[in-house]
Amino acid sequence: MIFHLDTSTGQSVGIVTLKNRIDASNSSELQKVFTQWLQQASVFIFDCKELDFIDSSGLGAIVSCLRKALEQHGDLKLAALGPKVSMIFELTKAKKLFSIFSDATEALQSFSTVGTK
Amino acid sequence: MKTLIVIREQEYAWLRDMLPGVHPLLVPVCNKPFIEFFIDFSIFTGSKAIRIISDGLLGEVERYCENGSRWGVEISYGSMQPADELPTVIDKNRRFCLEERVLIIKGFLFIHYDKKRDYTTLFASLPSGELLSCCHGSITLTGTVKPESSSADIPFSLTALDTVGKYYSLCMEILRSELTNYVIPGYSSEADCYIGRNVVIPKSAEIKKPVIIGNNVQLLANTVIDTNSVIGNNVIVDRESIISGSIVMDNTYIGEHLEVKNKIAAGNLLIDPESGTSIVMEDPHLLTGMTQSRAAGTLLRRMVHALAATFMILVLLWPYLLLRPVLGLQGKWKRVRETYYNDLPGKTVTLTKTTIDSDEPLGQLAKTLSLDRFTLLFRVLSGKLALIGYHPVPINPALRIIPNNTTGYTPAVFSYAEAEDWPEIGIDTEIVEHYYAVHGNPLKDIAMTQKALFNRNH
Repeated sequence: MIFHLDTSTGQSVGIVTLKNRIDASNSSELQKVFTQWLQQASVFIFDCKELDFIDSSGLGAIVSCLRKALEQHGDLKLAALGPKVSMIFELTKAKKLFSIFSDATEALQSFSTVGTK
Repeated sequence: MKTLIVIREQEYAWLRDMLPGVHPLLVPVCNKPFIEFFIDFSIFTGSKAIRIISDGLLGEVERYCENGSRWGVEISYGSMQPADELPTVIDKNRRFCLEERVLIIKGFLFIHYDKKRDYTTLFASLPSGELLSCCHGSITLTGTVKPESSSADIPFSLTALDTVGKYYSLCMEILRSELTNYVIPGYSSEADCYIGRNVVIPKSAEIKKPVIIGNNVQLLANTVIDTNSVIGNNVIVDRESIISGSIVMDNTYIGEHLEVKNKIAAGNLLIDPESGTSIVMEDPHLLTGMTQSRAAGTLLRRMVHALAATFMILVLLWPYLLLRPVLGLQGKWKRVRETYYNDLPGKTVTLTKTTIDSDEPLGQLAKTLSLDRFTLLFRVLSGKLALIGYHPVPINPALRIIPNNTTGYTPAVFSYAEAEDWPEIGIDTEIVEHYYAVHGNPLKDIAMTQKALFNRNH
């Protein structure tokens, strides 16, 4: 998991690059570090282009991150879901909870659109 | 007419990779094993003998189809070399092909036919040669045509199966518009809806046509089986899940609150037929395979049945020894030996069935004590019969559906249908017997045996 802040849209967007897999072994870690990232930004993009697999605990962690972001009047958007990860999101109906974009740039632009509005 | 089915392993290897654990020729198409469509088509064309030839292993197919008696045809198996061309295969099987017209189905393809048409007359009149072909196979006729006949339009078509996407599309196509063209397993009281045996559907579940549901399926509360869905055998769909435009293969558990849309679910494997992407689910509460490990339960059941049979033998021994000779001398004790299907595929059991004329008090007493079943009780001790279970099904080559195909079939001294006072034959009886075979337990079996003993005399 790599985290960096992007301010190109005029607001601080936390971009998190998720790698390999999120499962029971590292989902709690994601939830833990996300609390720290929340102190730096309230809106986030989870870039999933390098994410190969996610299980139900990983999914739970991402939903938990979304809930925390929403509690702080922020948002969490997903970008570049691979076919396998996308299937899990579709199967569990989690796709309906998130705004999903084809890549991180598009997700970032959506924040700027929201900002200008 | 005879049929030669020639399929190379490389033609179906992709399906083995996609759906491991089941032979590609047995992969269900709308809940019916693929090979059965070939067999049905061959029968419709008037074939009396079918030979399945492949360069791959056919053991599983052979165990499933056996000698073809269930379809009333003779099925044999042959092997070939991967490099063998069709003429070589025909030459190697020249004794089979001799003196008759032979329909040769070559390739892993699906034949779209219509069971309502008269293919027997048509195929007798068609000239020899290749009738139809597609990129992965063909249908050819050999042999001489009757001189008075003339050629006609060929009322069937072919679909080559080479990707999971084509397999999915084929299933959906059949489901949407061709269901009535084939013999589809399941009970259908209305169009576009086939439901198997022992299907538990709660009031809150919603099922939308067209749909096919297999045997032993449990839908839990608020599940939705949306249009264009095929649910296989031994499937549980947990509460509030939605299946839509999907194929759920045999022995699959679908977890709760899930949405399976336009997918193929097979055990813990989820396949997107459009992209060909497949994912092995690691969470058993989402999607998982179900194995039927009933060995321990079966052993306990057998032990309880044997104990109860021993008790009955001890109780009925003296009445039997006293009444049997008397009724025998009076000619009121009649015995017939017959062979029945056993609970193991391909195995049979020969039983002596007794009928007692009960028009006189002695006969009535013997019947009340169920002495006509006395000798069968010893078969319970040897494990050949259950004390209570299915009414033994006599071997009949004309039968299209044999009981071996039914999960849990166990021939028994007394049948669940007797306990529930159903007539001995008929689909309802089979459903009753199947229900108790699946949902019963040793104690319930004892209670059902008592009920059967009581009901037989009232």
